Amino acid sequence: MIDYELTREQKDLQGRMTAFCSAEIAPAAAELDAAATDKVPELLRAQFKKLGGAGYFDLLLNADFVSQCVAGEEVAKAGPGAFLAAMSSGTAFGMALSCFGSQAQKSRYLPGIASGDKIGALAGTEAEAGSDLSGLSTKAERKGDQWILTGSKDLVTNAPVADVFLVLAWTDREAGLEKGLSLFVVEKGAAGLAVGPTVETMGLRGAPTAGITLTGCAVPADALVGEAGGGYALLGRITEWIKISLSAMSVGLGVACMEVSTGHGKGKKAFGKPIGLFEGVGAKLAVMFTLNDLGRMMTLRAAWSTDHQETEAPILTASAKLFTSESVNKIADLAMQVHGGHGYIKGSAVERLYRDARFAELAYGTSEMQRAFIARDSLNRYKPA
Amino acid sequence: MYQEYFKEDHQIFRTTVRKFVEKEVKPDIEHWEDAEIFPVELYAKAAEAGLMGLDFPEAYGGIPCDKFMHVAYTEEICRCGSIGLVSGLGSYAIACPPILHMGTEEQKQRFLTPVFQGQKIAALGITEPDAGSDVANIRTRAVRDGDHYVVNGAKTFITSGCRANFITTAVRTGGSGFKGISLLVIDSSTPGFSVAKKIRKMGWNASDTAELSFEDCRVPAENLLGGEGMGFYGIMANFQNERLALAVMAHATAELALEESIKYAKTREAFGKTLSGFQVTRHKLVDMATKVSVAKEYNYRVAAKMQAGIDCLREVSMAKNFACEVCDKVVFDAVQIHGGYGYTREYLVERLYRDSRILSIGGGTTEIMKEIVSKVMKF
Repeated sequence: MIDYELTREQKDLQGRMTAFCSAEIAPAAAELDAAATDKVPELLRAQFKKLGGAGYFDLLLNADFVSQCVAGEEVAKAGPGAFLAAMSSGTAFGMALSCFGSQAQKSRYLPGIASGDKIGALAGTEAEAGSDLSGLSTKAERKGDQWILTGSKDLVTNAPVADVFLVLAWTDREAGLEKGLSLFVVEKGAAGLAVGPTVETMGLRGAPTAGITLTGCAVPADALVGEAGGGYALLGRITEWIKISLSAMSVGLGVACMEVSTGHGKGKKAFGKPIGLFEGVGAKLAVMFTLNDLGRMMTLRAAWSTDHQETEAPILTASAKLFTSESVNKIADLAMQVHGGHGYIKGSAVERLYRDARFAELAYGTSEMQRAFIARDSLNRYKPA
Repeated sequence: MYQEYFKEDHQIFRTTVRKFVEKEVKPDIEHWEDAEIFPVELYAKAAEAGLMGLDFPEAYGGIPCDKFMHVAYTEEICRCGSIGLVSGLGSYAIACPPILHMGTEEQKQRFLTPVFQGQKIAALGITEPDAGSDVANIRTRAVRDGDHYVVNGAKTFITSGCRANFITTAVRTGGSGFKGISLLVIDSSTPGFSVAKKIRKMGWNASDTAELSFEDCRVPAENLLGGEGMGFYGIMANFQNERLALAVMAHATAELALEESIKYAKTREAFGKTLSGFQVTRHKLVDMATKVSVAKEYNYRVAAKMQAGIDCLREVSMAKNFACEVCDKVVFDAVQIHGGYGYTREYLVERLYRDSRILSIGGGTTEIMKEIVSKVMKF
């Protein structure tokens, strides 16, 4: 028997988040997108406090993934930029620490992350190393009771506002990816850590992005997360969570696109009737709904299988991420088309959503990387009878 | 029988445009995109270089030429990487044809000559907040009062509208429907005319787009083009040229994105080889190149038919749809090949992605093109 019903708690959560997001997150979304890069941090911190107050970070740190997706969809629908920033802090940094960190690390950082007072970031990518981690060059050398970090990281979401970073570095290059990489907690104030200028991005501007450089940056021995050499496996797990979250983000963006498009379809008239009554427009709305509903089902299934530690969880996560990210781009494109020229102007929600959506197919493994992963898994899975 | 569309004089002209782009546009284009405007002096520089008034008679300072000269111009000017600049600099190409086709000798001398000298900026004002492709539904009203028309209403999405010296404006002088529409040339210094707002957009940032307001704006009756009620004809007459131009912009933009992607794929390394070392990337590039080539050839074919005076309402509508869809797909894939970097302002494809999106909306949406084709084909 398949039961698609959310639990009572999950339904309550959904209702609470819908109300909270329409009151506190949605009103800030346009401003976060349009603000000059130097104004974003202040606006974002205010959003973090509110999200913290609503218990959203608690949820990211402690709840099952199905609940996270239910709540995350609401946050992403109301404020995609705030969603990405919150995910980068609460999941990519916070949940990583909560699952793999020492007791001391948890007590030091997680209360601030949970309340929204502190912002975390994950610094993995480098200019010459995206999905191919073998291209990483940042290294950590043990000196006495310290680790000395040297290198630079690129496209770090939240870097301009982060209080603390989770940094991926080589502790033993010779040992290779699976035994040579480690994760470190590096605080903003650490000597030798510098955050570069904010990178202007096409969308999701509410989650500011920058590079960071580590120049002989010394951190204490206990800044190491987990064991030395265990970074690759940990990052793999963290990336799985992020991919589930991004799938929920795509679904939320999809709902936002549908809301504005149906509104426009009912309100805008041409040739004597509301344009939503033209079959061509109606067909677009139908495709948008179908893609998004299928994407939500895939996302929740990936979340559920991760919660239950099913062996299929990684493949379901990759295909959910692939499908939802491609779908939301199609959905946003249709939404723009329904709006015509009105959708191309700054200040229209669909203009922003369209730019935001493009991120989903690029981040944490492009669609090409998801396909490569799914293909590899499939080749191993299906054997001739 | 094989035939080249571009002859030697087209190639010479192409070189002229390319030099202009390299010398006058490329050095400053990033700055203009950020500033969301380009200097007004560029119009005079373009005129000096012989790039203004293409396909207009010499008598008014224009440059008589065939369709392929125009195609060559559009292809080359798009290589500046800012389609907004292309549309801003070329707003005369939609604003001036009604003057040429319907205007009196005096009107042509008065309005066209300074534009082609780069001294004045022309804009076309048709779209209203509640009437886009549904042109017959426009509401801006012009009421005759002695030697003047008194104009009241609003226009939106007007390219170059913020600083145009005059706007070729669609107004309602008669009853409802297309028969009540006339074209009036309205000087922007006329009391009652104002720029209500500069519209900020997803892309085409270097071009200014305006919302215009007309409040008891008294326009001399001598600025009426043709007779009352002839506006709809004047508007429709140039739509085919505009749509061809948009189709060419689409294939030119796609070609530029393709070139950028090839460069990136050949240099960016992952998993021990360049991106072009991956079959998926190579095949993606091939798909992009195939689409661009086909769109381009079809656009050329349509241009050749139009040049020969054959009515191509159906073909040009199809060409616009096809080329714009190709462009959307190609710029999407270009960003995809660039990965996260394609999402940042540091790479040209990020802008091409934003700029491309309006092509399948402006000048009649894809859906409107389909309506036209279905009518022509009597479906």
